[in-house]
Amino acid sequence: MKQRPDINQKVEEILQSLDGMKQAAPAPWFYTRVMAKLRKDEKTGWMTMASFLSRPAVAIAGLCIILVMNAVLLLKQDNQVSTAQAYANQDGQVMSDNEAVAASTSSFDYENLVQP
Amino acid sequence: MDERLLVEQLKQGDEAAFKIIVETWQNMVYNTALGIVQNAEDAEDIAQEVFVQVYQSISSFKGDSKFSTWLYRIAITKSLDHERHKKRKKRFAFVKSLFGEESQIMIHPPDFNHPGVVMDKKEEAARLFNAISRLPENQRIAFTLHKMEGLSYQEVSDVMKTTISSVESLMHRARTNLKKTLTDQLKEKK
Repeated sequence: MKQRPDINQKVEEILQSLDGMKQAAPAPWFYTRVMAKLRKDEKTGWMTMASFLSRPAVAIAGLCIILVMNAVLLLKQDNQVSTAQAYANQDGQVMSDNEAVAASTSSFDYENLVQP
Repeated sequence: MDERLLVEQLKQGDEAAFKIIVETWQNMVYNTALGIVQNAEDAEDIAQEVFVQVYQSISSFKGDSKFSTWLYRIAITKSLDHERHKKRKKRFAFVKSLFGEESQIMIHPPDFNHPGVVMDKKEEAARLFNAISRLPENQRIAFTLHKMEGLSYQEVSDVMKTTISSVESLMHRARTNLKKTLTDQLKEKK
């Protein structure tokens, strides 16, 4: 406990050690290095894009979007096939009706038409 | 040159204005980063990144606060990000070392000597920097901005987007924590 005042005094000295400190400066040609970094960053724009796309979250999200789009397309295609079949059936019916008409008209005697 | 004019010119892509901006505020940005990361090379890298971001995102600066306040915010954010990244790397290296893989872990970094400290106070300042590095983030930022950058409590509160009374409280807690850490260290030494 005897040392307590000494310690307190030393702590105060340490706390005041930053008083009157000068500002530190970066090494010379700082602006040149900033510009070099800026140009490098501009050049690596595509690299940034690639690294963004290769992030796990982005990659997984992209994959999910592709899968969902595929599923939607498949479902749509299925719907289209079933409607096409329905149309085909309908067409078949129409065609058979037409054929029946054609058959009935094929026996018509065009040469001996009775003129009014 | 007028701060607003410089910002307007930079918004139009004027490199000469950018050069003036860098040369005017480079020491301020470098010092802030140096106070937080306590490493000259890292501080230089961070300062460069700060100005690169300034160039790239000047359009987002609306002029609601002072330009220097905006710069301080970017410098602090980048410095803290850098520290977190370094800590993550350290933890990862430690885990790797547990599995017998070779890695360089710096458990006790060497004492930091700030180049601006007066010669006869170097030893005390190194101790203080060591104690500052153990402070919680907010207290460390408030202490660094006020004691090293010489900002007033009003300016610190602008940078930290808080009230003056919060800054006063942060400074009080920072001083209490620093005193405790330093007292413990001195007791251990004796």
